[in-house]
Amino acid sequence: MNSRLRADGRAALLGRVLADGGFPGRPRGAFQVDSTAWGILALSACDGPTKVLTQARHLLMRDQLGDGRLCVDTTHPASFWPTSLAILAWEHSEPCRDAQQRAIRFMLDTTGRHFPRTADLPSAHDTMLKGWPWVGETHSWVEPTAMGMMALRAVGHGQHDRVQEAVRMLLDRQLPHGGWNYGNALVLGTELRPMPESTGAALAGLAGLAERDAVQASLTYLQQEVIRLRTPISLGWSLLGLAAWKHTPSNAALLVERCLANQERYGEYETSALCLLVLGALAGREPDDPSLLISSPVDQGRSGSLHH
Amino acid sequence: MDSESPQGLTRRDVLRAVATGFVIGTGLLVVPKRYFRWPQEASTFVAKADHYQLDIAGILYRGMTELGVGTTEVQGKRILLKPNLVETDSEAPHINTHPLVLRGAIEAFLRLGAGAVMVAEGPGHRRDTLAVYEESGLADVLTEDRIKFHDLNYITGYALPNAGRQTAMKTLTFPALFQEVDWIVSVAKMKTHHWTGATLSMKNLFGVMPGRYYGWPKNVLHHAGIQNSILDINATLKPHFAIIDGIVGMQGDGPIMGDPKPAGVLVMGRNLPAVDATCCRIMGIDPYKVSYLERADKWLGPIGDGSIEQRGETVASVRTDFELIDTISAHQGIRLT
Repeated sequence: MNSRLRADGRAALLGRVLADGGFPGRPRGAFQVDSTAWGILALSACDGPTKVLTQARHLLMRDQLGDGRLCVDTTHPASFWPTSLAILAWEHSEPCRDAQQRAIRFMLDTTGRHFPRTADLPSAHDTMLKGWPWVGETHSWVEPTAMGMMALRAVGHGQHDRVQEAVRMLLDRQLPHGGWNYGNALVLGTELRPMPESTGAALAGLAGLAERDAVQASLTYLQQEVIRLRTPISLGWSLLGLAAWKHTPSNAALLVERCLANQERYGEYETSALCLLVLGALAGREPDDPSLLISSPVDQGRSGSLHH
Repeated sequence: MDSESPQGLTRRDVLRAVATGFVIGTGLLVVPKRYFRWPQEASTFVAKADHYQLDIAGILYRGMTELGVGTTEVQGKRILLKPNLVETDSEAPHINTHPLVLRGAIEAFLRLGAGAVMVAEGPGHRRDTLAVYEESGLADVLTEDRIKFHDLNYITGYALPNAGRQTAMKTLTFPALFQEVDWIVSVAKMKTHHWTGATLSMKNLFGVMPGRYYGWPKNVLHHAGIQNSILDINATLKPHFAIIDGIVGMQGDGPIMGDPKPAGVLVMGRNLPAVDATCCRIMGIDPYKVSYLERADKWLGPIGDGSIEQRGETVASVRTDFELIDTISAHQGIRLT
């Protein structure tokens, strides 16, 4: 089953590779940094050809800015959320080691905008807890924080102060009845709605770093929710989040097939969405496989030069 | 960016500049700030519509023709409809523009001879646009009608100079798709809003700003100032038409946690501040107490009732006060007396 999944995933992803390397956002579109990083992660998980992966990793290095960040495009340097993806995409690649170290340094040195709570603030969370934002000079939000945690944990920084603070931030943003949304738990005293993609990302980020009791309500929410999901970003993140806590649903393959079939209705999925789905489909099947985005929640304790 | 012209101008901008003869000798096209004059008088059309099973296309078509939108103007044009899709809850369909209002708008524009009509949105809360598209019921309608839906959150952007200059943002990045359309129509929901008092056609345009550049939520705009950002986006984008779904709106803690409010109206017009001001009056809100509208007045368009020609139903005949919450500062003191 796994080999078929990998073969199918590999074929689908290789069909997206651009003539000059890397991946487009939309099929047959132009090169995009975030899609290329996702493409590397998913294609690696599918045992993709080394040549294609190497070329894609070099294209990411080409687009890295001097301070280590990777942006959606270089004309928008504040849109640095692909940096954590690049750290993961460059993992296990010796030629990319320096670039990866600069990206790690950037992540460790970068936070969102944080400010003390005031009495009139309508949200309820601890505004001083730092994670990572989508875009520079904005607040820390759930998914980029979870991605930052996954990237730093993968390169041995799971015990770094920044990661540990991000754990506290995500737990603080968890909805009282379980789950996460983009990052506001309560506004004006009202509990907001959970979202599967945010919940899956948060659970994937917290795996191995938080106690099960602390996220049990969210696991319960997502286990109930996942069976109705039909779209790739929600389903992909949900499968990744559940797998990270060893709760892969027994009908995961069916859910993925149903989601893929939806392309007949919606057209081919955007590359990063397809990659998330591929990674979600493979997650939890071989828990020790280091090529998967969420391979093992256990910090490897690798001591890099940036270890805090 | 690949789709950006040398000056970050849209094809529409360039054509307008050429038409008005503003080509200067540097070899570059420069569009003067004031080549485009915002109207200081406007017409809006209000129609009663008690439920979504009515002939909404017919109602919208009649409203458009009453407002002078005819085949001469629309023939062959590419029309982009921007609904208000935020997040979904099966218990709260009143969060989003109703799919049947979109269907009605599509049919009305096609009846007027539009060359193509498409629907596009970049939800601010959910990264999974497709999930919102599907769970809102819009996917069923557009699939059946064979209308293309575009996810604006992941689309490549092109930058335009910030024409509003109310925030510190020097440029605004819009979806490249906008360079390929002739009309942008805000098809919004009639809702109260806990930061801005009301969210209507102008605030709805937050959703055109791609998430990949502005984040989820579109937090860049929050830090720049919500009210200022609304003005900048509208001043720069210059949308062409607005339709407000007030058949069932949202009152109280909008834009997502409020209660349904059957207002039984569809409101439309070419000038967005005028349309939003009319909606405010229908909702029992004083548009002069809604900061972005008050500041848009006599700039982006009129909001005074003396400057808005009211067609269709009178405001007084359809006014139904939306619940405001005393503890929400944006709701305090905005009730229309």
